[in-house]
Amino acid sequence: MPAPQPRTKILVVDDHEAVLGGTVAALEKQYAGADIRTARTAQEAADTLALALPDLLVMDLSIPQKSGETAQTDTGIQLLRSLMQRYPDLNIVVQSAHVKALVRLKPIIDTHQAGFTIADKNLPLREMLTKVDWALQGLIYTPRDMRTGLEVKPEWLDVLQLAFQEGLQDKAIADRMNVSERTVRHYWTKVQDALDVYPESGKNIRIQTEIRAREEGLID
Amino acid sequence: MATQHRLQIGALPGLSNWKRSLLPGLTVLGLVVLARLLGLFQGLEWRALDTFLRLRPAEPLDQRVLIVSIDDASIQQIGTYPVPDQVVAQLLQTLAQYQPRTVGIDIFRDFAVEPGHQNLLDTVAALPYVFGIEKVLEPAVPPPPFLPPERVGFSDFIGDRDGFIRRSLLGTIDGAGDYHFSLALRLAEHYLAAEQVLLSNGIQDPAAMRLGETELTQFRADSGGYVGADAGGNQVLLNVRSGANPFRIVSYQDLMAGNIDPTWVRDQIVLVGITSLSTKDVVNSAAVVADNPGLVNGVELQAHAISQLLSAVQDGRPLLRVWPEGWEYLWIVLWGGAGMVLVRWLPTPSAYLPVIVLSGLGLLGGSFVLLWLGGWWIPVVPTLVAFTLNGLVLPGFYLYDQTLRSRIDERQRVIDQTYDAIHNGPLQTLAQVLRQEDDERSWEQTLPKLHDLNRELRDIYNMLLKESQPQSNQLSLDSSQRPLDLQNPLHEVLYAVYTQTLERDFPHFKSIRVHVVKFEPMVVPRLTLEDKRALCRFLEEALCNVGKYAQGTTRLTVTCLCANGENLIRVQDNGQAASAAPAAPPRVGGRGTQQAQQLARRLRGEFLRSHVSPKGMCCELRWPVQPPRRWNFLAPKQ
Repeated sequence: MPAPQPRTKILVVDDHEAVLGGTVAALEKQYAGADIRTARTAQEAADTLALALPDLLVMDLSIPQKSGETAQTDTGIQLLRSLMQRYPDLNIVVQSAHVKALVRLKPIIDTHQAGFTIADKNLPLREMLTKVDWALQGLIYTPRDMRTGLEVKPEWLDVLQLAFQEGLQDKAIADRMNVSERTVRHYWTKVQDALDVYPESGKNIRIQTEIRAREEGLID
Repeated sequence: MATQHRLQIGALPGLSNWKRSLLPGLTVLGLVVLARLLGLFQGLEWRALDTFLRLRPAEPLDQRVLIVSIDDASIQQIGTYPVPDQVVAQLLQTLAQYQPRTVGIDIFRDFAVEPGHQNLLDTVAALPYVFGIEKVLEPAVPPPPFLPPERVGFSDFIGDRDGFIRRSLLGTIDGAGDYHFSLALRLAEHYLAAEQVLLSNGIQDPAAMRLGETELTQFRADSGGYVGADAGGNQVLLNVRSGANPFRIVSYQDLMAGNIDPTWVRDQIVLVGITSLSTKDVVNSAAVVADNPGLVNGVELQAHAISQLLSAVQDGRPLLRVWPEGWEYLWIVLWGGAGMVLVRWLPTPSAYLPVIVLSGLGLLGGSFVLLWLGGWWIPVVPTLVAFTLNGLVLPGFYLYDQTLRSRIDERQRVIDQTYDAIHNGPLQTLAQVLRQEDDERSWEQTLPKLHDLNRELRDIYNMLLKESQPQSNQLSLDSSQRPLDLQNPLHEVLYAVYTQTLERDFPHFKSIRVHVVKFEPMVVPRLTLEDKRALCRFLEEALCNVGKYAQGTTRLTVTCLCANGENLIRVQDNGQAASAAPAAPPRVGGRGTQQAQQLARRLRGEFLRSHVSPKGMCCELRWPVQPPRRWNFLAPKQ
């Protein structure tokens, strides 16, 4: 698991100098010694990623395709889609003021294999750092208004069933579902996001998940 | 829109279209071939041959043939007509001084024309190289009685049905069964015999004649453009010498006055003939370049007939040749086929006309060059007709037909789209209002719905306006929502349809606690925007049905994915079918089901609506990634 390591590699994409500076400064403070690079356009970001894959990508949704062009949410969406297709193991934090635009990408976010969190730009920097931390842990976080009520995939329900009704461990669940253990862990993070269960100190996340799942009627 | 239609012509859609476009082309070909077999093209092919022969560049003067013409001025000088034997005898004596190799007298002498008959008899007897003429075809004219049969040739030419001469008769049997040779052949034979070139039978065709190594291929009833011609006797096509001055012509007076160069006569063939217009020794030939178009003096035509034999033997100049019948028809079919193929292969309509015109000109030019340099007479007119009809006229019909069809389709599409929009929008809202239980029917509850209805109805117009744009790739379900871009991947678009539809105010959406959704990339290689639009409408409609009828549903399962070579869109609920709805599976018959079934047919898939136990409905559309093909039974079923 990509737990914060001494030399965490991070790529930050934003076309506003001020925001870029603020984000980088905050990240440097949090992850001392991290290798932080920046990109200002979609083109630049794609090129940088093609050279070497970082541990984390922090990107603004509203960016220009090339320098000199105007920033558009659509450009960010297109970039995000192609990056998720090409690098399913890349941890991603999306910063945006209009989270709703991301609804279109929900299907591909649901199948993304690595951490994916969305940080609302209107919220304080501290929130952003939490989302960065979650993404680096491979967790999923999407804001409530991106979802239509409680929305789950059939596989996630299977995981809940096998874990909480048959009491199986991840390894056994993976065998039963004929997938890798890593995939099962991903299903956990996804279903936890759907149930709004996120890491909290002093709480057992699996038990939290079970409580919420029973509340919502996902398991009997 | 016009460009769209044209592009479809080149796009080769389904089999039915192939039939539609292949059939007219083949019909044209069949008709052209039939018309040629019936001889309907004969006249045009003759004229094309004449024109081509006349258009050839001039050949050099043929020194071997000298024409001595007795014209109107000569007859005036002689003072009497027919030309007396005395005049002919003197003419022969004058010629004899210059030592010609052969002399042909193209003047009938079947009876004595005094004065001077005895003089003529003596002269002819002394000059063994003098030949006379007869006419063997009816009405026949007997040969000069004073000449032995081997020194007589007939002067007959066989005219075609249009009166023009294109053939040279070399030999034929008369009514009594005796074989006669033509004057041209007699003179050529005598001339060539001096060079040890002898007349014999053909090698390839024993019935044909052969002069030295040159076989004179016989004319057949269906040679070239001819259909059922009179091929009696031994004939060859007449390849006249081109140019305005193919032969040297001297007048009787000039000859008698000694105004000629002796070398013109020495060792050459001399043809003596009447060219006076008043004597009417003229024939019709459009192939010869003449002052009076179509009219040529008989003696000149004899000169052409002689010259073509001598040139063939001595200069290797080709006689007119034709292809075997089968080749000719193959040629016509090939060009007709080329016209059909060009229609489909040319990508841009603008290049179309020039290509057809250039190809047509190429065909004409090629045929001309073949005739000019090779003596090949190949079918031009029927080929050109088949090619242009298939290449130029039929596409016009296709285009018209296509435009008409697509206009009808377009209208149907607009009608369907309008109804879909009304059906999936305002009619759903209206249904909600009507389905309210009596005790709920308060004005406060109904009024907002009516406002919605009002807005939705007005939106339809705007939406149709937007969607009817030719390249519209947008779909708006609801004017308050962002329009969807149909060019995005299908599963993303469907997901957007799902989220937008669930935001609508339907009574049974509120009770749903869990949405089990799975939207994964689908494999849709040949899906048009229209199909995508219809799939979106299908999902929208299926979700609306849940919202309207699935009472107390707590779980909604939406699946859009591709598995086992099949694409699947499925919407399942666990609600109670509303009491008002019939229990039978087609809970909502009518328009919605029709739409879905139409779509399923178009995609070659199937549409299913069924109950699930213990409760709820399942509505699904599945269609194969690859449309089923005939040989599918060979592949193991997946």
